[in-house]
Amino acid sequence: MMGWIDQNEFLIGSTLTVFLLAISIQIPLRLGVISFASIGYYAIGGYGTAILMTQYDVSTWTSVVVASVAAAAVAMLLGLIISRLNGLYLAMATVSFSLLLSAVAVNGGSVTGGAVGLFGIIGDITIWHTAGIAVVIIILVSFTERGKLSRRIDATREDSQLASAMGINVTAYRRLSFPVSGLIGGLAGGLAVNLKTAINPESVNFTLVVLALTIIIIGGQASWIGALAGSLFFVWLPEILVFVGEWEEVVYGTLVVFAAVLVPGGVVGVFNDWRHRRSVARERPKVALLEAAAGESDAELTQSRSGKDG
Amino acid sequence: MVQDLLNATTLASIYVLFALGMSLVWGTIGILNFAHGSIFMFSAFVAYLVVQQIPLGMPAVIVIAMASGALIAVAMQYLVFQPIMKKAKNPHAGELQLVIGGIGLSAIPISFAQRSTLSNPFGFSAGAFETQAYTIGGVIITNVMIIILIAGLGLGVGTALWIRNSKKGLALRALGVDPEVSAMMGIDRPKLALATMLYSGALAGLAGALLTYYFNSITSESGDTLLLKAFAIIILGGVGSIFGVILGSFILAFAEFAVLLYTNGSWVTAVSFGLLFLILLIRPQGILGKKEVRRT
Repeated sequence: MMGWIDQNEFLIGSTLTVFLLAISIQIPLRLGVISFASIGYYAIGGYGTAILMTQYDVSTWTSVVVASVAAAAVAMLLGLIISRLNGLYLAMATVSFSLLLSAVAVNGGSVTGGAVGLFGIIGDITIWHTAGIAVVIIILVSFTERGKLSRRIDATREDSQLASAMGINVTAYRRLSFPVSGLIGGLAGGLAVNLKTAINPESVNFTLVVLALTIIIIGGQASWIGALAGSLFFVWLPEILVFVGEWEEVVYGTLVVFAAVLVPGGVVGVFNDWRHRRSVARERPKVALLEAAAGESDAELTQSRSGKDG
Repeated sequence: MVQDLLNATTLASIYVLFALGMSLVWGTIGILNFAHGSIFMFSAFVAYLVVQQIPLGMPAVIVIAMASGALIAVAMQYLVFQPIMKKAKNPHAGELQLVIGGIGLSAIPISFAQRSTLSNPFGFSAGAFETQAYTIGGVIITNVMIIILIAGLGLGVGTALWIRNSKKGLALRALGVDPEVSAMMGIDRPKLALATMLYSGALAGLAGALLTYYFNSITSESGDTLLLKAFAIIILGGVGSIFGVILGSFILAFAEFAVLLYTNGSWVTAVSFGLLFLILLIRPQGILGKKEVRRT
């Protein structure tokens, strides 16, 4: 087991950082906000960590934390600025935010290393640290997938007008999703930089947007399990099937299209549907009994009523 | 100076051709087509493959590119976008599915072209067409530029007038305002949507062929860059406004040329994102767009 982990340290690390990035996109998505800004947060986290570590000799953890908090702060600001927009307009604004940042990275001169980027970032973050962080995030996220909070989030996504009519502060929820998404996106970037020991503008461009979206769509939008399933699938499939590695984009593109047309809920959605159908099938006889009983009492009620009338 | 203005106008005309179809599709049938860039690239690529075998002239190349663009767009509409729209529980959920479907679709032709060209640029140099340059009063203009200017401005203004004045144009605009009510008024939405996609794909093909002639070659990724610029153009002008597309194209092209003149080239890509972001903050409905009022 340990030997296997050592051998595949890089792949496991990539799975975890990609998972964090996916969670960062998923959080606003669960509130009905299509935001591509996570790529920007990832860039801030990654570049921030790299710059602090290589140019200011700040320790690894301090760099990661500072960069992630910076990403969260930028995200909060972005959330306030674009709170007027919704739907596709908001999606556009976040795409342009992310790509503006990658243009800044290209033109940043010696600070960002220009088109070449920064490299030789060697910190003391191990695979276990990354795994620990991922577990903490999973626990925190799973709190939002249970009980009252989960229902509020679902209502905000499915019908924001109805949600606010029910007394849910839709704006506050959506606004809050930005810094949370920013913090996790920044963390993903900071950890990824430590894993790959390098960062360049190529690694934070539109391709990453597509990749992260693919993960969520294939896994499922509604739960962290979906993001994890998608990350595992995405990172490991090309390793296992050489054919997939060769035709990566075609395979993923086709999968995404199929997912969008046929199974909008992703793999997890399909599983939940199946579970739902099964439980419905199990409950149906009971419901039928209840209905029959209700029918009888209804009949009695009508009889007694008509008796009174008469 | 005049030369720069002319070059910028040519670039703007290419932008018009590219963004026109996208804006039409988004503004009327409500599909933000993320695969528009790959339609553009792949139709030029198909024409390139044909030209490699048969040295054709410009008209034939353009016809091939437009036909393949139209074909791809119709196939996408028929196989992906239409089923998604039919299935969507509400317009909002459909919106996201459409974006995702488009992103997935766009990856497929790009990756085929990348593999087949080994990511090298491709062009129509094997064809029978020769670029000719004329010098008029110190300003150089090529025959390709003349064709681009005529096609871009002609089709841009023509489409805008058609949408504004014809009965079909009215039907399209009605679809953009309220699909349900317009269906009740007897507008055949699926059919009109297919026709719009066909036109949009043909325009993308035309833009692909002309840009390839203009720059001598394009790469598999050219479509992506242009797609992001088209977002900026459409939002600048206002979604659904065809004159807005023309205006937006000119603003973007001239802004890019200005940046190119005063800074080094690497900031040019940032212009479109910057403009897009700015206009969304100041006036989300675009310069010529009307404020959207939605009642539910």
